Amino acid sequence: MSNKNKSTLQQQIDGMQKERMPERDLWPGIEHALIHKSDLSLDEVSNINSKKMMFKPVYALAASVTLVAFVGYFSFQSGVVTTSEGLAQQLNEQHIQQRESLLASLKDQPTTTENWQQQLNELDEAAAAIRKALENEPNNAALLRMLKRVHQQQIALIERVHAPAWQQI
Amino acid sequence: MESHLKLVDTKSSINSNCDTQPLDQHVDLIDRAKLGDKQAFRMLYDMYLPKVYGLCYRLCADKSQAEDATQEVFIQLWSKIGNYTGQSKFSTWLYSVTSNITISYIRKQKGWWQKMFNIEETSHSEQTAEASMFETDLEKLIMRLPERARWVFVLHAIEGYRHEQIADMLGIAEGTSKAQFHRAKQLIEEWMDE
Repeated sequence: MSNKNKSTLQQQIDGMQKERMPERDLWPGIEHALIHKSDLSLDEVSNINSKKMMFKPVYALAASVTLVAFVGYFSFQSGVVTTSEGLAQQLNEQHIQQRESLLASLKDQPTTTENWQQQLNELDEAAAAIRKALENEPNNAALLRMLKRVHQQQIALIERVHAPAWQQI
Repeated sequence: MESHLKLVDTKSSINSNCDTQPLDQHVDLIDRAKLGDKQAFRMLYDMYLPKVYGLCYRLCADKSQAEDATQEVFIQLWSKIGNYTGQSKFSTWLYSVTSNITISYIRKQKGWWQKMFNIEETSHSEQTAEASMFETDLEKLIMRLPERARWVFVLHAIEGYRHEQIADMLGIAEGTSKAQFHRAKQLIEEWMDE
């Protein structure tokens, strides 16, 4: 290891761009989780208060109206569907858009392997199976994560097979 | 191991572009977010996303995992923002929270995938192939580092944490943090010679 490399390393660290932007929009997933958390806490509050309100139905009615208004307000504000089924659909649509634009931008580049489209199709089938499972269990967070993971594997595959060989370390 | 991961209001001298925001506006957004104002929280998200994601990306060495970890950071931040006392800069506190949550997330994910599919840890060459398209030379080399050495290198050399703080975050001895950093630096310098 040479002194030149030591100074080069420090220079590269100093000049490193610390900020990066993710390729997909992360906010819808975060917002969904926050709204879900808010609903839960409202449920908890409602459970705690339910005994006290047993003989005061007018309060219970007011609380229900407030809850509906609260959830409705955030759904309207965000402009997105906030159910779990909606999230799966949203993930899928977002992924298709991302994949199509990536494929369009790389269409003139040669690929490093021949059978990458077959691999892409296999991942498509895996995603379809997970979406099918989500129809029965729309709140299954593990399935949602798996769906996201398969989408990400597709994007990684497309990027990998289109990356010029000289860029690979 | 995860009991060692603390969300601490760490005092250190980490710089951030977000520090250039007017202080009053910042304090107002943080106060509103503490009171449950999602619009204010969204503004903080927009402000800090590039730096938080950048840190997650270097710790994970995997784009998709970094995106998931970033979501996890902001979801947890929503419930933990009340713990911010104002003793340090908000950015300093947030990056400390980000490092802790991301490392904890990586450990949990690794365990989950290994349990579900009985798979081995992603090899360095696979990680490099995925990361190679849009990286600078140094970033590519950081992605090649073994996981623990990469964490220490990123936290010490790039984020400016002291070995004592890193040891606390990772649940390791201070000497181990120093040794991992030395190893990481040596590997990078060797690879630069190639």
